[in-house]
Amino acid sequence: MLMQLTLGGLSQGMIYALIALSLTVVYRSTTVVNFGHGDFVMAGAFVSYVLVVLAGVAFLPAAALSMIAMFVLGVLFNRGLVRPIQGGPHIGLALMCIAAGYVLRGIARMVWGREVLPMPAVFDMQPIFIGNLVITGDAVFIIGTVLVLLVLFFGLMAMTDLGKMVQAVYQSPRGARLIGLNVDRFNDFSWGIGAALGALGGILVAPVSLLHPDLGASFLIKGFAAMTLGGFGSLGGAVLGGVLLGIAEQYAGAYLDSALIEITAYLVIVAVLFIRPQGLFGRKAVVKV
Amino acid sequence: MKIFTTMLATAALVASPLLADDAEWETWGLTDDAITIGVMGPFSGNASSYSKALVGMMAYYDKVNDAGGVHGRKLVAVQEDTACDSAKGLAAAKKLISQDEVFMLQGNSCSGVALALRPTIVEAGLPWIVAHAVSDSISDPMAHNIFHGVPTGSANGRAMAAFVLSKPDTENVAIIEHSNDWAHSYSNPARDYLKEHGVSPSQELTMERGQTDATAQILKLRQNKPDFIIAALYEAETAIFLRDLKKYGMGDIPVMGTAGTDLENTLKRTGDFDTVKNYYVIHSYVDNLDGTLMKPWADMIHKYAPDEELSTFSFVSIGSAEALVAALEAVGPDLTRSKLIAALEQVHDFDTGILSDPITWTATDHQGVKSSAVAGFVDGEPTVLKAWGQPY
Repeated sequence: MLMQLTLGGLSQGMIYALIALSLTVVYRSTTVVNFGHGDFVMAGAFVSYVLVVLAGVAFLPAAALSMIAMFVLGVLFNRGLVRPIQGGPHIGLALMCIAAGYVLRGIARMVWGREVLPMPAVFDMQPIFIGNLVITGDAVFIIGTVLVLLVLFFGLMAMTDLGKMVQAVYQSPRGARLIGLNVDRFNDFSWGIGAALGALGGILVAPVSLLHPDLGASFLIKGFAAMTLGGFGSLGGAVLGGVLLGIAEQYAGAYLDSALIEITAYLVIVAVLFIRPQGLFGRKAVVKV
Repeated sequence: MKIFTTMLATAALVASPLLADDAEWETWGLTDDAITIGVMGPFSGNASSYSKALVGMMAYYDKVNDAGGVHGRKLVAVQEDTACDSAKGLAAAKKLISQDEVFMLQGNSCSGVALALRPTIVEAGLPWIVAHAVSDSISDPMAHNIFHGVPTGSANGRAMAAFVLSKPDTENVAIIEHSNDWAHSYSNPARDYLKEHGVSPSQELTMERGQTDATAQILKLRQNKPDFIIAALYEAETAIFLRDLKKYGMGDIPVMGTAGTDLENTLKRTGDFDTVKNYYVIHSYVDNLDGTLMKPWADMIHKYAPDEELSTFSFVSIGSAEALVAALEAVGPDLTRSKLIAALEQVHDFDTGILSDPITWTATDHQGVKSSAVAGFVDGEPTVLKAWGQPY
């Protein structure tokens, strides 16, 4: 049972990791917490649904097209709605994110309002039984896809000039400007990448769960919990936080009480803020006076 | 004598505006050619598929209107969205009662919302026919103006447990449910029925709304190996639970679901017959959804809502709408709210031709429908059942 729970938690946690990572990408570059991010996740899933189910496009190209569409949406959102108010109070940015999320949700409700939609399974693979352990096609696909993506993402960040420039912008936007980097363009890029990664989370979870316009709300909370656990602003921490949260939910549900699954994320947030506010990999905030 | 006459005159003078108010209140929302009916439902949100129930009901209003209405009055629905949210539902009810001044209310999916509305509607006093939400607490303890027009949770919960125990050699029964009033309204009566018959649930699990994975719950079930599972889950979670059940090699265990789901849509959502072949649901109708007895109702809905995709919810409120029209007919043209309430209490053994059990409202019991049939796949076809292996 422990192995099965770990596998299930890992599969679920990979989705949380992706969502937490996408939130962190935006947060690190702009210090904006995208409170509408759950709806970007939902929107990505719906775009892929339209392409796969209504337009008959194969899953992989549909997923790629959805991510591109959401990348463009993220860039446009930053340019059109975030950048003009960036100098204003932070609450304004948060409210703008919430508003954009509700607009996306409203559009989905207008089109699919009363339906809970099925997304076809990506792999019609029979589960593999190893003793009591069941390895499902969904789990293999989700874990495999996210792992590949994480390797690419962190490889890009660590080993390329582009990655170093991104890190420079993260560490000091002013310094990056002084050495000639176009920070605004990097911010566009971060919003685009954040939206695309979030969309991938939605695309991966859609065949496992079902699609409806309120899908993103619960994932947003899971993303926040993972970010908090890993340490706000830490890319690696967001991933680890997501995975640990997914596994913790499964363990709590199976060994304690199934009612705990839903509140594990909230318990994690409360516990981390009390015990180690900076999370696993975050830095302690130091204020010079 | 003079003093007495003066006092009487004064009392009459003081009382006259109140009496006038009472008379006015009795006919609020009523004109010579219209009866306005407030129809609340989850027209948005993740439970919005339940608003299909109100589409069928309003199609019946349209049918009655096309035939000339009731004593020359058309049934005019004023819709308000509750989004299956208590706060929004309360705002919707207050708007309908105070601002739109509707004559009566009919509808309401989402028991939690209906329960939140109950005090406001009891105080307002206008007739309210609950046409979809099932929680017993909406109409019990009895309120003089609230009538339940569908089988309540206790009727359905007991029907669920009765069906489960009708399968030979069923002793080990597990329950999985949401932790909300709606789910408890099914599971608690089911538990009571099981206990009355010497069976205690061997396992009680929770799966909350919005959960996209049921691995932990299913692994616990796998250890317990139940003969039957009672699942009080909404549509999306039912599909996820059944999918995961099959995924972990437990698809052969029969699962008894609530009236909150149906076979056809659950099949559509899981996309796989093997996943739902052992799924049974409360089915409150006389026939399969595509059966000959249901066809006239399906045609009626499509006549007035051509794009409507039919599901089990599409039909659920029609029976209570029929009972309402019968009561309105019985009152006659001189309609008031009090007269309608009195007429509703005279509805006895009313065969709707659509619900599997008749509607009976009395002065002491406003829960009109006392039982339900069950639907399941038999030889690959959706079949209405009285008990395990017994067609209705």
